[in-house]
Amino acid sequence: MLNCNEVAERLYSYLDRELSPEEMAAVQRHLDACPPCRRWFVFEENMLRYVGECARRVRAPDELTERIRELRQS
Amino acid sequence: MTNEPQAPAGAVQLSEEAISHIDALYRMALRLTGNAPDAEDLVQETYLRAFRSLHQFRPGTNLRAWLFRILMNAFINEYRRQSRRPANTSLEDLDEFSLYHQMLESDFQPSVAQPEQEVLARLSEESVLEALDELPVEFRQVVLLADVEGFSYKEIAEVLRIPIGTVMSRLHRGRRRLQRLLAPCLCQSPSLCHGQ
Ligand SMILES: [Zn+2]
Repeated sequence: MLNCNEVAERLYSYLDRELSPEEMAAVQRHLDACPPCRRWFVFEENMLRYVGECARRVRAPDELTERIRELRQS
Repeated sequence: MTNEPQAPAGAVQLSEEAISHIDALYRMALRLTGNAPDAEDLVQETYLRAFRSLHQFRPGTNLRAWLFRILMNAFINEYRRQSRRPANTSLEDLDEFSLYHQMLESDFQPSVAQPEQEVLARLSEESVLEALDELPVEFRQVVLLADVEGFSYKEIAEVLRIPIGTVMSRLHRGRRRLQRLLAPCLCQSPSLCHGQ
C-alpha cells in the first residue's frame, strides 16, 4: 500500500491519468482508504477543471475565422 | 466542370478540419500574447504556415497537435524576442505552494460543508485568467496545453519539442504557482493572505 507521501508525489500524474494501470489502481486504493488525501485530490481535480473551463470560454472572433477562410482560397 | 486546377479533395477537407480548431488556437494565442490584435496575428500566421505545409501533414496523425506546434513555433519566432522574461528557476520553494493546504492551516471558515467547493466559488473567471497570464511563459504553455486543451504529456512534449520529464516538472511548478497567484483572490479570509 502506498503511503500519503508516495500518493502526494503522484498527484498530477494520477489526475492526468498518466500512470500505469497498476499505479492508478494503487493510488485509488489509498484514496479509498484515506479521507484527507481524497479531499485534497478532489480539490486539485476541481481546481484543474475550473481553470480549464475559464480559459475555454474564449472564442475566436467571427471576422478572424472569415479572414482565415479567405486566406485558404488565395 | 471547369478546367481550373483544384486542390485535391483531401486537402480541402484537411484545411476545413484545421479551421475547426480555430477557437482552441485563438484562446492559446490570446493567453500567450496577452492582447487580441497580437493573438489574431498569431493565429493568422499559424494558418498561413499550416496551409503552406499542409502537404507535409501525415494523415492519420494528430492534426490538432500539429497546429499547436506551428502556433508555438510562430509565437517563439515572432513574439518571444520582444518579451523575454525567463522563468525564475531559483525559487523552487515558491513552486510547492498548495492552496488547499494553506486553506487547512488557516482559520478559513467555510460556510458550507465542502470548503473545496467554496474556494472555487470565490475565484472569478477573470482572476483565473489574470493568474494564468502572470505565469512565466514556459509554465503558461504547458499549463494551457494540459489543463485547457487536454493534451497528454507525450503530445505536449512533441508540441514544444521538450523531454517528457521537463513537461512534468513545468506542469507541476506552473500549477503550484497558479495557486499561489490565486491565493490573494480569496482575501475575504484574511488569514489566507498571510505571507503573500
Ligand atoms: Zn493519505
